[in-house]
Formats: sequence, structure tokens, C-alpha cells
Amino acid sequence: MKIDRRELYSGRITLLVLMALTLVPFVSMFTTALHPSGSYPVGIEWPADPQWGNFVDAFNVANMGVLLASSLFIVALVVPVSLVISTMAGFAIGHLRIAGASLLLPLFLFGLTLPYEAIVTPLYQFEKAIGILNTRLAISLPLIALYMPFAVYWMRAHFVSVPREISEAARVDGAGVWALFLKVHVPLARPAIASLGILMTVWTWNQFILALVLVEDPTQRTAAGALGAFQGHYATDIPLLCAGSLLILLPTVIVFVAFQRQVIAALLQGSVKG
Amino acid sequence: MNAADRSMPETSAQTDGQRRSLRTLPFGKVRRDTLLGWLFVLPALAVYGVFVLFPVAMTVNYSLYRWDGFNVPKWVGLDNYKTVLTDPELVNTLFNAFRLIFFFTVIPVVLGLVVAAVIRGSATGKLGHLARTVLFLPQVIPLVAAGIVWTVVLSLNGIANQFLTAIGLKGITQAWLGSFDWALAAVGMIGAWVLLGLCTLLLLTGMSKIDKALYEAARIDGAGAFREFFAITLPSLKQELAVCITVTVIAALRSFDIVYVSTAGGPGNSTMVPGLEIYDLAFFGRSVGTASALGVVLILIILVLILPIQWLSRETGE
Amino acid sequence: MFLAFNRSRKVLGGLAAIALVASACSSSTATATPATSPTTAASTVASAPASSPAAGATACGTAPVTLSAYFETGFQIPFSETAEFTKEFPNVTFNITSDQYANISTSAARLLASDTPPDLIRLPTVVSLVKDKLLKNLDSYATTYGWDKWPASELLQNRVSATGERGSGSLYAFGLNYSMTGVFYNKKLATQIGMTTPPTTVADFEALLAKAKDAGITPIMQWNASKSGGGLVFPLQDLMASYGPTQPINDWVFDKAGATIDTAANLTATQHLETWIKNGYFPSDVNSIEYADANTRFTSGKALFLFNGDWSNADMDKNAAGNVGFFVFPSATAGGSFGTMASPLQYGIAASAKHADCAAFFFNWVATNAAARQINVTIGGSNPGGPADLPVPPAASGSVTNETLAVGPAIAKANGQMDFIANATGSIYASGWTPELQKMVGGKETAAGLLKAVQAEYVKEQNQ
Repeated sequence: MKIDRRELYSGRITLLVLMALTLVPFVSMFTTALHPSGSYPVGIEWPADPQWGNFVDAFNVANMGVLLASSLFIVALVVPVSLVISTMAGFAIGHLRIAGASLLLPLFLFGLTLPYEAIVTPLYQFEKAIGILNTRLAISLPLIALYMPFAVYWMRAHFVSVPREISEAARVDGAGVWALFLKVHVPLARPAIASLGILMTVWTWNQFILALVLVEDPTQRTAAGALGAFQGHYATDIPLLCAGSLLILLPTVIVFVAFQRQVIAALLQGSVKG
Repeated sequence: MNAADRSMPETSAQTDGQRRSLRTLPFGKVRRDTLLGWLFVLPALAVYGVFVLFPVAMTVNYSLYRWDGFNVPKWVGLDNYKTVLTDPELVNTLFNAFRLIFFFTVIPVVLGLVVAAVIRGSATGKLGHLARTVLFLPQVIPLVAAGIVWTVVLSLNGIANQFLTAIGLKGITQAWLGSFDWALAAVGMIGAWVLLGLCTLLLLTGMSKIDKALYEAARIDGAGAFREFFAITLPSLKQELAVCITVTVIAALRSFDIVYVSTAGGPGNSTMVPGLEIYDLAFFGRSVGTASALGVVLILIILVLILPIQWLSRETGE
Repeated sequence: MFLAFNRSRKVLGGLAAIALVASACSSSTATATPATSPTTAASTVASAPASSPAAGATACGTAPVTLSAYFETGFQIPFSETAEFTKEFPNVTFNITSDQYANISTSAARLLASDTPPDLIRLPTVVSLVKDKLLKNLDSYATTYGWDKWPASELLQNRVSATGERGSGSLYAFGLNYSMTGVFYNKKLATQIGMTTPPTTVADFEALLAKAKDAGITPIMQWNASKSGGGLVFPLQDLMASYGPTQPINDWVFDKAGATIDTAANLTATQHLETWIKNGYFPSDVNSIEYADANTRFTSGKALFLFNGDWSNADMDKNAAGNVGFFVFPSATAGGSFGTMASPLQYGIAASAKHADCAAFFFNWVATNAAARQINVTIGGSNPGGPADLPVPPAASGSVTNETLAVGPAIAKANGQMDFIANATGSIYASGWTPELQKMVGGKETAAGLLKAVQAEYVKEQNQ
């Protein structure tokens, strides 16, 4: 493709402008976070005396150590469980091709379009009845369930693409279905499982409305849920609020930058497939 | 969303082959495998059934009662639906959701096409790579954080007004999230900011699959960049466009986090969306029935909008 | 303590409070409280727990006990009081959860109905909670501890009748202290525009607004964003009390049959507010200003006036020490009627609380113990209430708290206490006042239209 010079430069300028638009809010937040606590900073303005201590203050004021630990705990519960059960289901639907699978898929797909808001009230009532309200389980169990449509579909797509010959060879060797799954297919599915795991980690970290409704105590919530509470409490102080918000979004940004390729590939394939 | 079926045409061949091979197996073996297979599906299905499908059924059930969440519910038939579809305030939330589609869907898709084309054409190197990463960043942070970031940016003292003042437009500076004329658009722009990166990358992936020979042929025919775009690029992206539109339309209709954090529905309900209204009705106004009816209506609206998109893209995709 | 926070929908508790200031100062009205002379009880309770069955620490026992408590984040009072309590009664500790008021409003019912209901909880409006039988009836504690001998106005707003009207019936809440509202002013800016004494008529006040505007000073700082709830109800309700009697307003808030907010006097009041808006007396971005934001801007000298309550005294003293004054919004004509919003800081006990007796003992201790009362004034900035003959502990000199405490008797004498109009029904603030006031700021609603719309919402909610 040949492109003339003018097109080249106008294109690059467009890109630079859009990148700036994407980044400016973060920069603005960062410079604001460095202003003296309780002040009223204007736009982007480097403070005369940057208050790096604001980050420490925000960390302490918001009880951030506990919040982050809570979020990690939920991730550590939700992600492995979701991975195990969705991989099993994906294997059965995509590889074993069990009878009735064609009925299962639309059922799961419905969940992809579902607005969470529409089911929070019954979830609340149900969890109250079974006594798990206000615990981390209250967020975790619905989250696992809500991930199933995407996760099962995702794993199914992987297993559909695995050549049948692999299984047949293993079966000739006398492997049962369970051994076939554990010894042959799970190792092969590792990349797909890893991408799915990263995605679900980010989503769990960022989950808000379930945390808001199902758990009253911010220290039992996900990071985003806690951030919502933090905003309510410390809106008094714009610089502290900005510092706290940056601290809470930092982990996902780090995960993203570290696993950039997988996250992007996963999300893209995920959306195309899901 | 269920684009998978058609995005992998090679699987249909596999399916046939596999069915054949299954048929050759002894009958008992198939039955046993199917039974085992269902055991593999069971945990996922069970948790999904209990924590998603069952609550959906309960929402439908609640929507037929007047209930405050505590006392004995009173059967009211379809009254709550009548309220949802006639109460000006509730109808307004549905309209707002539709208005948000312009910002959550139209802007990211159109701009995403432009950006993807630019990256393909004039920034295949480091710049393009960097742009992809940067534009994608808003997609990975919590929406709540996006709301907070933009609340600061769009405030009277924010960088948005600082910039407008700098370029001589001081006259139009204002508190954007507090303005009747602009608040919804401002909320919409936050959504566009979040979703642009996703659309860009999806479309970029789609473009990379287009056969270069098509473009060369077109250029030989004397087609300009414009005609090239409409004759080749756009039709080839049908699949990816369908995904972009589906994902962003759903995001618009079920928006909650951003609105909750940035405007809480104000000023004067001008940014109230169904998600937030459901939350308020159920947990604040304690009208669980009306909230549930609004929830059911929202579920139906999303299905009605999404299914045709899926159906259309499927039809032409095969 | 109340609206302020975030998506807060509910505001101040209710009325009163101030009568007790009056009676405390004049103490002539104090009913003889013979049984347990409260004055001495206050000081002896802690040291001699077993001395009286009513006031003894026996209610909490001597074995270690942990009360579960649910407080509002950002308001120090209950945290300080519970810490002090544990110091005096080391066997009693508190497991405190805290959240913003908006979340408490939406979750109180859920919490109270849960399997682990709080022993102590910051309450939003009580009526619906009482209807759902989620709150402990405190009548027997009132008898035991002699609360029923305190000035009746202290407990009025905490009472709910069998028919769901507030202001009479059984006791369901307890005021940790009693707040009042009014107008804070920046002393430096006041001097700058020549204000030497607080205005005595609405016309005086409006003249000051105009002067400030001409001098390039923002006349009134206020919050009006949905997340905080429409703070313009503060000046509006003050105006209502200046142009009409407070009784009809209280009737409306207490859900008395046939009450309406759409009256001629209220229309005049609303028209004044509309004029203020049109004249640019509020910041142009008032519809996106949140509660805390408004306070920060005021204490950093960005405006002459701020309508708020005494709960922000500590904040004022800290961030604008010595530069903030306070007055109650004046009457329409010199010597005419006036009033202001005043309410107890309402706490309650879950109907199925495990340690209800100990929680009630804590309530009584807060109202009668000298150290607890001092904390209320020093940290809360509000009147501690309690028995009429207990003195109100002094605030630090130079604190604006002295000014807010000082106006109490005048309000009481004028019978000027009102409960907050945003507390009338569950969603009247979120679905009525806030959007309508925002529309008025945006030029999309008239004074008459506003009152009609709010009244319609009120009727709609009552019929629900």
C-alpha cells in the first residue's frame, strides 16, 4: 500500500492527539494527587511542593492494605474455581460433544447480554436466605456464575479446535475420559486457560455493583467496590481522592502492561468468540 | 456475541468428521461418554443456574408483585410494567440509555475505524504499537475509576476547561457534569473514552485479515482511498463490526458504574439510566416490584437489539 | 452526619433539640427528676456502676462483651464516644463497621434484618424501619433511665405512632446529640463588604448578597449535586420559616394527614430562592458541587455564606480558625417569625440485637456522663442534650461552636425548630427536592412548579 506523505503525517497526528486524550485524564489525576491535601487544584498544574506523602496518607486513610487483601482473596477464590469448572464444561461441550450441547449454548449465551442490575435484588434476597450476605462469598459465587457464559464459551472454542486424533491416540492407549482430560487436554489448553485467568482477574478486581449491593463492609469488597466507598468518604479531599484512586487502579494497569499481549489477545478473541 | 460459530468455519468440517467417528463407536460407549460429559458440565451449569438463571426467574416473579422487600408481597399482575412504560421519569431513563448508544457505540466504532485504518496505513511500527497499548488502557481500569478521573477532568476547575480557556473558548467553559445540556453527553464521552481502544483493536485485527491483493487490484482500477474503504475494508469487517456494536450497545444499556460515580443521575434526572434507577427503586425507594419490571424490560430491550445484529452478521457471514 | 454524603437521599433526622438548650440555660423549666437525680448520675455512673439498678454498668455485665456497631464514616462522634466508653468499661468493646450515609440509607433495612443485626446503628429516617418491625422499641429503657423526664422535644422526633406518623408514640431512636443549622459566614469577607452584625431581616440579608456580588465575591456557597443531594433545600427551608409558621412544615414532614408543602407562604419563599439563583448569588457550577466540595471551598475563603449545620463546626475551626461566624437565618420583617432545621443525631438498636441492654446503657451514658458530654461539644460541635439540668460543657474559646450553641435558646423561644423537609418520605429528597432544585438552577422550573412537583411526589409516595 502506498501512502502519500500528507496522509502519513495527518494520520500520525490523529493518533498522537487521541493518545493524548486518553492519557491526559491520568496525568491530571496524578498532578492533582500531588497537591496539598484539602486544596483545590486547577487543571494540570505541577505543584510547587509535590506531596508524595498523599499516597501514603491515602493508603492509610482508606485502610488500603485491607482492601487490597480482600480483593486479592476474592480473586484467589473466583478465578481458580471459574477456570476449573469452565474448562471441564468447555471440554465436554467442545470436545466430547455431549448430546444436548446445542441446548446449553444458547442458555449460556443469554448470560452474556444480561444486565447485572436486573438480578441484584433477587441475589440479595437469596443470599440473605442462605446466610452468605456480607461475606466475600456473597460476591464470589455470583461472579463465578456470571463468568460462566464467557468462560465456557471461551474454553469450548479452544477445545473445538483441538484435533480429534489426539484423543483417539490416547484412548487407544486405554486412557479414560478423566485421564484424557487431565493428562492430555488440560496441558494443551494452558495458553487458553492463562488468558482467561488474566481476564477474569481484571474483571473481578473491577467489579462494582455486586460489591455495592451484596457486601456492606468496604473491607470485604472488591477493589472497585472499595473505591466507590472511598469516593464517598473522602470526596472532601480531591488530592487524596485522586491519590487513592490511582493506588487502586494501579494493580490492573500493572497486570495489563505485564501481560499486555495476552490481555489484548484474550479480550479480542473473547469478544469475537464470546 | 455468539460470533464464534461463524468465526471458525473450519470447525464445521471437524464436527462432521467427529460425528462420524462417534457413530462408529459402540453404542454403550457413547452413552457412557455423554453421561460423563454431562458430569463435566454439571458444576458450571449448577452455579450458573443457581446464581444467574434462578435470579432471572425471581426477577420476573417479583415484577408481578408490589413489594418493599420485607413485608408480604401483593400480587398486582402487570401493573408494574404499566408504570415502567408510562411513568415519565422511568421512560426517560430508557430514552437516556438509548441516547448513550450514540456515545458508547457510534463514536468508538467510527473513530475506531479511523484509528485502525491509520495504524494499518501509516503507523505500522513503534508508534502504532504504542497507540494500541495506550488506547486500550481505559479498558482495563475499573469503570468507577474512570468515573472519578473524569469527574476531576470535567469539573469547573478541570483540565477540560483549562484547555478551552487556553484556546480562547473561555466563554463556553462550565461544570459539564452539572449542566442540563451537557451532562449526558459528558457521561457518554466517558464511555467513548473507555470503549475506543477495544473497538480499535478489534477492527485492527479484522483489517489484518483482509487480503492485500484486494487493495492492489482496487488501486490498479484507480480507486481512491475513500472508495477503497467503502468497497473493500468496510464489507470485510462485517464480523468485527457486529462484535463491536454488540459489546458497546450492551455496555450503553447496562451502564451503571460510570453514572453512579460521576453524576448519580443528575442534574434533575437528566443522566438517570435504567441500571441506576433499578438500584434506587429496589434499595432506596423499596419498590422491588417496579425495579424488577424495569429490569425485565431492560433484559428484553437488550435482546431485541442484539439478536438482529447477530442474525444479520451471521447471515452474511456464511 | 447526613445528606452530604454521596448519593445521600435522606437528610437530617428531625426537629427539636434546641428546646433543651433553652431549658439547660434557663433550667427553670426543668422538671424535677426525683428518682435518679441525673446530675449526680452523670458523674457517678462510671465510678459506681452498681449504685443504681437503672444506671449501673450491670446492663453490660462484667464479662467481656463485644457490641456490633454500624457508624457513619467521616463523623467522629460515635467513634470517640465508644472509645471513651471502653476506657471506662474495659469489658465492653465495639466491633465497628462504617460506611457513608448514602449507603447506610440504602442498607439499614437489610442490615437490621440480617442474622447478625447491629447493636448500635446510625439511622436514616425511621418510619419505614419501624413499620417493618426492624427497630427495638426503647420505651422500657426510657422508663428505666428516666429519659421520659427529659425535655419532651428531645425525644419527639424519635417517636413513631402506630399509624406511622412521627412525633408521637413509642420511642425507636436515641439522639447521640442535637444538631442545628443556620448560616456560616466568612468574617474577613463580611468585613470587606461592611457587614458588622448579622442581618435581622431577609431584606438585610439580600442586601448583603447584592453587595458581595458587586464586590466580586461569591455570595453563597452551597452544594447541589445529586450525589450529595440538593443542598439548596437549606436556604429554601430557612426562607419558608421566615415567611410562614413552622408548624405546617413539621406536619408535612411528619406525614400528618392532609398536609401540603404547596402553600402561599412557601411560594413566596421559593420565589426568593429563585431570585437568588437568577441574580447569580450561587456559584455557576452549583449543580455539580458536592457537599464536601462546598465546605472546602467555603473554608478556603471562596464565598461569603454557607448554609449548613453545627456538625461542620470542627471542620470550620480546623480549616478557617477564627474566621467563621454563625447566625440563624433572619425573619422576613424585623421581630417576625423565623426558624431553622434542628435534629437529633439518631441512633437505634436492632429489634433482634444480642446486646440491646448494653447498647441502651451506652445511650444513657453518652447523654449523662460528663466526659461523654464534653466529647459531644468538643468533637461533635453540637448540644449533648440529656437531662435539662445538666450544664452544656463549654467549647474551646474562639470556636464557632460557641456561636451555634448560643443561638439555641432564641430558636427555642421562637418555637422555630423544624425537621428537615428532605426527610418527609423515603425518596422525597432524591426524587423530589434534589431534581426540582437542580431544574430551578438550570432555569427549567419555576417556584410554583417546584412546589407542585414536590407535593405530587409526596402524595405519590404516600400512596405507594
